[in-house]
Amino acid sequence: MIEQFQHKLTNSFMLWFDNYLLTKGQAFTNTTGNFYNYTDTRIGSSYKAYGSPYKQWVADSSIAGANIPNGVYVDGSFSGRNDGVILDFDNGRALLETNSSSLSVTGSFAVKDFNIYYSNETEEDLIVENKYMVNSRIPSISQSYIDPYDQAVPAIFLSLASMDNRGFALGGLQETSVRGNAVVLAENPYQLDGVLSIFADSKDEAFNAIPMTGNPFNEYYDLKDGTYSYTDLKNQYSDGKPFYINDSTTSKLTDKARKSLANDLYVGFIDFDIQQHRYRHQ
Amino acid sequence: MKLPADVQKSLEKQVPKVLKRDFESTFKNKFEELKNEMIKEFLTHPVTIEIKDGPSASNISGTLGGATNLFAFIGFNEGDDPITPILEILQNTKYRRTKENKGAQEFTVDLPQIKEIFSAAPMPWASGRSWAQGIEVGISGIGYLLRKNSSNSRSGAAIQSRTKVRGGKFQNVPYISAIIRKYEKKFSKLK
Repeated sequence: MIEQFQHKLTNSFMLWFDNYLLTKGQAFTNTTGNFYNYTDTRIGSSYKAYGSPYKQWVADSSIAGANIPNGVYVDGSFSGRNDGVILDFDNGRALLETNSSSLSVTGSFAVKDFNIYYSNETEEDLIVENKYMVNSRIPSISQSYIDPYDQAVPAIFLSLASMDNRGFALGGLQETSVRGNAVVLAENPYQLDGVLSIFADSKDEAFNAIPMTGNPFNEYYDLKDGTYSYTDLKNQYSDGKPFYINDSTTSKLTDKARKSLANDLYVGFIDFDIQQHRYRHQ
Repeated sequence: MKLPADVQKSLEKQVPKVLKRDFESTFKNKFEELKNEMIKEFLTHPVTIEIKDGPSASNISGTLGGATNLFAFIGFNEGDDPITPILEILQNTKYRRTKENKGAQEFTVDLPQIKEIFSAAPMPWASGRSWAQGIEVGISGIGYLLRKNSSNSRSGAAIQSRTKVRGGKFQNVPYISAIIRKYEKKFSKLK
């Protein structure tokens, strides 16, 4: 199937949301540390996985002050992509083209305060089951790698729900409204209030429509071109038909409700009304 | 026959005063009639009836495929009265005279804002969210699950067990926004 309106919106919304949170909230921490070897049967046998203690590194070089990695130090020497290193920004790890499992690997990177995921799960499924590993952003004494692939909190789960078209102008111009939701799972009230405050103020923001081909990540969640700047990317797609946040409302799960879930996480919701004026089938 | 100038002048002075009372009285009657019609439409809406009927209601709104009812699904507590705050806002619909010129009068009806009504209808588990808006755009099953947890689980450990909230999808239906938009049009045509 060729790319549809909803596909383009999903891609654009995810990239915008990530950039907006990191820019407005400086929601990241620059970190330096050891990487730990582990076995991952999903990757090719010519690679070894060395994981950092944190998932989801910042990849966007337009975030001021964020340390975007280009490689790692292997036994004290820098190894970059030209040396066969793959940086997996989503799982917070480096894949090294080696047979050795005992290398000393270190690196510097910026870790996001919140992991960001796209989800099709219902809100109740997201918040009720105690299914997430907690990947606290507070460093602990006994550090190790974080398991890949599983979703970890603190996190924000984005989804796009209903969509409807209304006639807007003669000639077939439509006002397309899409309801977007974000479920925020935070470690503490400070984090939660911060995110909700940032996105409550996102009303009237606009973001460019970036097609899936413009997504900066490859299948390993490394950068396709070795570098990515949201600012540069969005400027490539400034066709004058941006999406805009027509409305944004935030709310928190009450403390009483939270306690009845016996959940240590602080839960918030952001409801977006995203609009675009367009001709259908375009 | 031409009226003497002083008689004509006197009439011009008196007529607006007399007509003013008649105009306002006629407008008021029509306004009250329409306002009552709007309130009746709200009170007889299947969603309103179902919620008003409380925890033992049947799903006459068809929003949940008959699986449970809206009162329980949204997560209200027994004894809650979520309808009255909305009713009070609708009852507060008023008109005011905004123009008067040589006997002609113009009235403006202050209908409640949709957002104002949504604000008066908070979710029992997340005060920033509106159940009335949720009826139109979709509601998650969090409220239902919370109620289940609090009634079934004394230990509060239900988080570890998967509770199936519902079999099917919540079916959105037009509600407050549709009523307000409909009566916006009707009130604007009042003469």
